[in-house]
Amino acid sequence: MAQRLDLLDPAEVARLGGIEIVAEGVVEGFLAGLHRSPFRGFSVEFTEHRAYQAGDELKYLDWRILGRSDRLFVKQFEEETNLRSMILVDASRSMAWQGTPERLTKRAYADRLAAALALILLRQRDATGLVTFDEQVRQLIPARVKTGQWTRIVRGLLDTPDGQGTAAHAALQRLTALLARRGMVVLISDLLFDRELALAALRYLRHRGHQVVVFHLMDPAEVELSGPPEVRFKDPESAVSVVVRPRELARAYADTVRREIAAWRKACRRHGIAYHHIQTDMPFGLALRLLT
Amino acid sequence: MSFIHPLALLGLAAAAIPALLHLLQRRIPPQLDFPPVRYLSAAERESARRLKLRHLLLLILRTALIVVIVLAAARPLVPLRGGGAHQPTAAVIILDNSPSSGAIVDGGLVLDRLRVAARSSLARTTSADRVWLMLCDGVLRGGTREALLVTIDSTHPGWLRLDLVRAVERASRMVNAQPLVGREVHVVSDGQRTALASSRATVPSGVRVLALAPERGAPNRGIAAVTVSEGAAVIELSGSMLDNGGTPQPVPVTIRIGAGRNRGEIAARGLATPGREGTEGATRAAVTVSLPAQSLAPGWWIGEAALEPDELRADDRRPFAWRVAPPAKVMAAPSAGSFVAAALEVLQAGRHIIDGRDVVIGGGDVPTSPHAIVQPPDDPALVGQANRALASRGVPWRWGQLATPGVLSSTDLTVLNGVPVVRRYRIEGAGGGDQGADAVVATVNSEPWLVRSGRVVVLGSRLDTAWTALPATPGFVPFIDALVNRIVIGEAEVASAEGAPRVEFRTRGTDTIGATVFGPDARESDLTPASTALVTAALGGKDRTSVLSPDRFAAEGFSGTRRADASGILLVLALLLAAAELGVATRTR
Repeated sequence: MAQRLDLLDPAEVARLGGIEIVAEGVVEGFLAGLHRSPFRGFSVEFTEHRAYQAGDELKYLDWRILGRSDRLFVKQFEEETNLRSMILVDASRSMAWQGTPERLTKRAYADRLAAALALILLRQRDATGLVTFDEQVRQLIPARVKTGQWTRIVRGLLDTPDGQGTAAHAALQRLTALLARRGMVVLISDLLFDRELALAALRYLRHRGHQVVVFHLMDPAEVELSGPPEVRFKDPESAVSVVVRPRELARAYADTVRREIAAWRKACRRHGIAYHHIQTDMPFGLALRLLT
Repeated sequence: MSFIHPLALLGLAAAAIPALLHLLQRRIPPQLDFPPVRYLSAAERESARRLKLRHLLLLILRTALIVVIVLAAARPLVPLRGGGAHQPTAAVIILDNSPSSGAIVDGGLVLDRLRVAARSSLARTTSADRVWLMLCDGVLRGGTREALLVTIDSTHPGWLRLDLVRAVERASRMVNAQPLVGREVHVVSDGQRTALASSRATVPSGVRVLALAPERGAPNRGIAAVTVSEGAAVIELSGSMLDNGGTPQPVPVTIRIGAGRNRGEIAARGLATPGREGTEGATRAAVTVSLPAQSLAPGWWIGEAALEPDELRADDRRPFAWRVAPPAKVMAAPSAGSFVAAALEVLQAGRHIIDGRDVVIGGGDVPTSPHAIVQPPDDPALVGQANRALASRGVPWRWGQLATPGVLSSTDLTVLNGVPVVRRYRIEGAGGGDQGADAVVATVNSEPWLVRSGRVVVLGSRLDTAWTALPATPGFVPFIDALVNRIVIGEAEVASAEGAPRVEFRTRGTDTIGATVFGPDARESDLTPASTALVTAALGGKDRTSVLSPDRFAAEGFSGTRRADASGILLVLALLLAAAELGVATRTR
């Protein structure tokens, strides 16, 4: 039995090829594991009946046919692809970091996750676009459903270099002007920026009727502190550095990270924003499943 | 506190290692990119105080751990009041077995009590100690503990007085010279007052003197001295008259004369009445007992004076010796001077001498009589002639140049001591002659003044007040008496010495020329104990001397150096510190 790529270690999967190959492999495996479409549009149209089969959901049972002919038929619908999705990928410098060489950088993981997500959305004919940003918006691919959109999205990811600092709120505020129609906004970021400012922008999107999903992406090494006995850790974005003894500070650091995640989760929940904490060693399929 | 391996303390320098490592580790750490620095900063801010405390605690724990381990390696010895081994100690045990230790007090021999105390001191010694035993002879006896125990057990009351002050000084110098940690002098004595009265002992710092507290004394009378003069024996008594403060009772004294078979025959008796204690000189008394001199043939005689037995038997008997001799036949040459002639008249009147030519006293010339006493010539021009005359009689002495004035000094003729001499000739040995060891009888300025050679006595000054003040002193006639009756014939005075009671005669050839009477020191008869304050002051003072009861004496011996090895406790402490360090180091990670 062939292994499903969506459930394999992301680093191993990434070694199979470029973003397109990885994303397609992941999506194939991911969709094969689903019984229905992961995303449902705002409107569906009835197409035909078919005979009931064991396992079909009873809510699709056509009760009127059952009453008239005493036979079990279920209704089948054709999903309408009018969902507009924008995938926001943080391309700041902090995303180009990996705890160990064996793992993907956060940016690489985010690119592949974004490509896979875009492919799923486009396959179900949802208009999907891409925004990459650091201190400013680097790539903007409007949401479309036409052929070649996914290729453009992938190219947009590939063409976005590693940025400098992160001023996510500025990029997000600009996006609020660009996303006029309601849709789904998926933010993939390490969230290493000012939480209140970023939340203000996300809140605004939410008020505009967008469905907002936040993937808080971290490297496992960012969750559990380790390293030499004494080391100077330097923030690649701000150049701020601090000398610590990882073994001494590990517990306090882990507590701080837990509190930070909890704070993001709590703040997002309060504003109706879906928040998911993922790590770069998490199989892509599991990350995608968080959206279902 | 002291240490068995003090060199290990050099390892204390290692206590600086944690601090040095802390400083050395302050090198530039490697720099790594780490995006969530903001989380780190927040965590560090929250943990800063805890981390500082932890670092300080770890530094203290690690430093203390090293210090404790080094101290344990040095094996510290801590003082203990109770049991425990003491540090190597140099100790002198002074067992005072002087004659007074033979007294019977409370029905027991004093020496038995002292032996018990000495044994208890010795029993506490270890193989690491160096111990000497000093008895009343003042000799420091080294050896193993077993050998010294045997010596203690075989000790009997001796006949020599022990001056505790000098004994403690010697002993303290001895132990102070030893390269051992502990230095102690244990004084096991009956604590006679007279044994401490001489002076104050100088005890080096660091030397501990433990003295057995004197117990109560006992009334005692002893014979201090017996001298024979003019046909009578003068018997001096001494002792402690602790007779309840009442009037001292007369003491019967018995004189026995003769040796061999005749010894034991009572020749005379007398009663001596001591004075009351507390008055000056009251403890000394004397009685004069006439001897049957008429019946005694010429020659040396010995006798014995005895008291009734009392608590101290050693001083109840004392021998004595004297010579029975006919008066010397003496004449003075005209040149001998008027003072000599006058003295001879006095002696002749007292039947000390009779007129004759056995002994001739000359004044510049050298008589040819059997015995001659020669004064230097008044005229310096005649000195050479006189020297030639001396040489012709075989006298190995000659008069030299006039010498500096001085004061007479003599051990044999005590009447000469202190008498000034203003003019004298230096008496020099003639070349090649044998002057003899006992030829010099008196000196001035350590130069011979009165010498004897064979049957000739040579004086350095004329017996005239222009030369010396001797003729004007009361001792002049006794001096002439001794000169003509004793010195010129080579006879020495009866001497006394410490020792077992006996008489030893000195001889030259077939002649008996003197006697030494041995007996205990008269001060041993006084059994009055010294006060604790006197013992403390005499044996080194409060800082160095402890006067202890028998029980405490046994317990306090070597307590100044009694130590326990604290390395075990320190190792346990080190383990606890290591566990604490491990706990602090791991728990906070």
